[in-house]
Amino acid sequence: MLILVGDNPFHGVSHLSQERARVRGDAVTTPEYAADLVMISLENGADGFMFSVSETTLSILRILGEKDVANGLRLYAITPAAAEIARLMGSEGGMEETAKRFARQMVTLGNFGAAFKGLKGAILMDPGSLLKSFVSYEISRIKSSAAKEAILDSVMLHEIVTDMGLALNLQWLFNLYIDFMLGLGIKPGFETRNFAFLVNRFREWNINLREIMIAAPFNKVGFQMNPSKVECEQALASLPEPNVVAISILAAGYLDLSEAAKYIKSLSNLKGFAVGVSREKHARETFEFLKERL
Amino acid sequence: MKMRTAIVGLGKMGLLHASILSTFPNIQIVALCDKSKLITKFAKKIFEKIKIVNSVELLRDFDLDVIYVTTPIPSHFKIVEMVYSYGIAHNVFVEKTLASSSVEASKLCQLAQTSDGAHMVGYERRYAVTFNKAQELIHQGVIGDLISFKAYAYSSDFIGLKDEKAVKVSASRGGLLRDLCAHAVDLALWYFGDLRVISSELKCKHNTGFEDAVKFTVRGVDDLKGCIEASWCMEGYRMPEAGLTIEGSKGVLHVSDDKVEFRNTAGSLIKWHRHDLKDDVEFLLGAPEYYRESKHFIESAVKGSSREPSFFTASKVEQIIDQVKKS
Repeated sequence: MLILVGDNPFHGVSHLSQERARVRGDAVTTPEYAADLVMISLENGADGFMFSVSETTLSILRILGEKDVANGLRLYAITPAAAEIARLMGSEGGMEETAKRFARQMVTLGNFGAAFKGLKGAILMDPGSLLKSFVSYEISRIKSSAAKEAILDSVMLHEIVTDMGLALNLQWLFNLYIDFMLGLGIKPGFETRNFAFLVNRFREWNINLREIMIAAPFNKVGFQMNPSKVECEQALASLPEPNVVAISILAAGYLDLSEAAKYIKSLSNLKGFAVGVSREKHARETFEFLKERL
Repeated sequence: MKMRTAIVGLGKMGLLHASILSTFPNIQIVALCDKSKLITKFAKKIFEKIKIVNSVELLRDFDLDVIYVTTPIPSHFKIVEMVYSYGIAHNVFVEKTLASSSVEASKLCQLAQTSDGAHMVGYERRYAVTFNKAQELIHQGVIGDLISFKAYAYSSDFIGLKDEKAVKVSASRGGLLRDLCAHAVDLALWYFGDLRVISSELKCKHNTGFEDAVKFTVRGVDDLKGCIEASWCMEGYRMPEAGLTIEGSKGVLHVSDDKVEFRNTAGSLIKWHRHDLKDDVEFLLGAPEYYRESKHFIESAVKGSSREPSFFTASKVEQIIDQVKKS
């Protein structure tokens, strides 16, 4: 089973409570400390790193490369870093200002190829071209930060984009993204908080479920498993092959490791899972335990 | 038959509501409206089956049943007034706050009374499982007689912003009192009924006339003492958070977006996280409360009755905010 280190703690995120994230303090959000946690996790059984593409996680990738621990490291990127964008929209004053800021960033960081395609998309008012240029930009940021030996297995659309696209019936967006990513030789992925809904929609749209990856919450208490734990489990069991990475397996720290492991083991169709860690001891014990049990 | 629905304002809240409503079997989104040329041009390419317009007046032609107004706060009054005056739709949902003053809010309440439709303001925390659990505990008398409370709403949104930008963004969001503090005020009104402002302190960190932090004291029924605080320059709040600490004769209750805790006078602590409070929804986007909020609003639109917080209830928030500004 694929075992991944998740990055939520590195962004100061706790879905159990914001207070918990504040109590952890700032140390875990510094790239050096976070990179150490990833390394310890890898040494103790993790196979790869699942992360939102942000300055923090790109710095972590750079540090891992410098420390020569990237050989065979498998990367699962999630883009865009939607929580950061939502925050930016709050501090930039709206959607239009945020979009302009991103465009400036793409040019400033010297990604002229992506910026040119993006500009072309903007001039032609073509959302498809813009999506492709944005994803190209994100991939180029990952590749320029990570060591050559690291393997970018999948780039996943963030749950906000995936779930909005599903709700708004934007079949073209999913088809375009899948075709584009397959063309690049990278597995297209989708993070979702509406797993059963996604599986139903993808079947209606005749999307080949074997070609993609999905990241979705699976945990004993049904936390963020919508519309219900039972329906998510049924949808998982119905998939043609294991291509789902379970997230929130500890239900954001609500469950202990042995409860989480027992539940994950009971699911027959999972490809793997991701877990976040915030302390060295925590990283060592968590991955040792999970490697042994799963 | 599906209810013909339009969304005005294609920012993050507009897209969120459009997405959630699209999953309802009895809703058909027929039009989206935004005044930005850039956004409308893109929206036309993205939403092939939905009409995109750049003016509220153009929505008159759509025979709408339901309209959601999700534009920045300063524009709410003018848009909602237009919706009722032109008879654009009779079921009206407005993102909080209802308006930019109690005078405006009062006018919109009068207009809403002339319509037989449902009206509601988007104080979504009333549909969060934690805040509902706390309300249940208060009403069951678990915390005993109410003595005092402190309500808060914090975010880190303005940390690091330069003065010029802070002024611009604050104005576009309607100011701290309406954008963030309104949540704490609404929760306090929901839990404790009518309140009156005793004293207030507005802090203008950026020295611009726009408030960055606010703290005010209130009195409620039976001389209940309260304090309400808000700041969007608070460290450690990457996502906005609201909550209350309530002291009663039988113990102290704390509730936030994430959890409810009750410590009785003997020192025993009981804690509920969202996990313990059946937080599932049919479709999760943003937070489960957004789905429940819209579900209740659409149910009330079908029945032709209003659900809380109605315009009348929400106008009480405006009254408190006006009192803070005057005191």
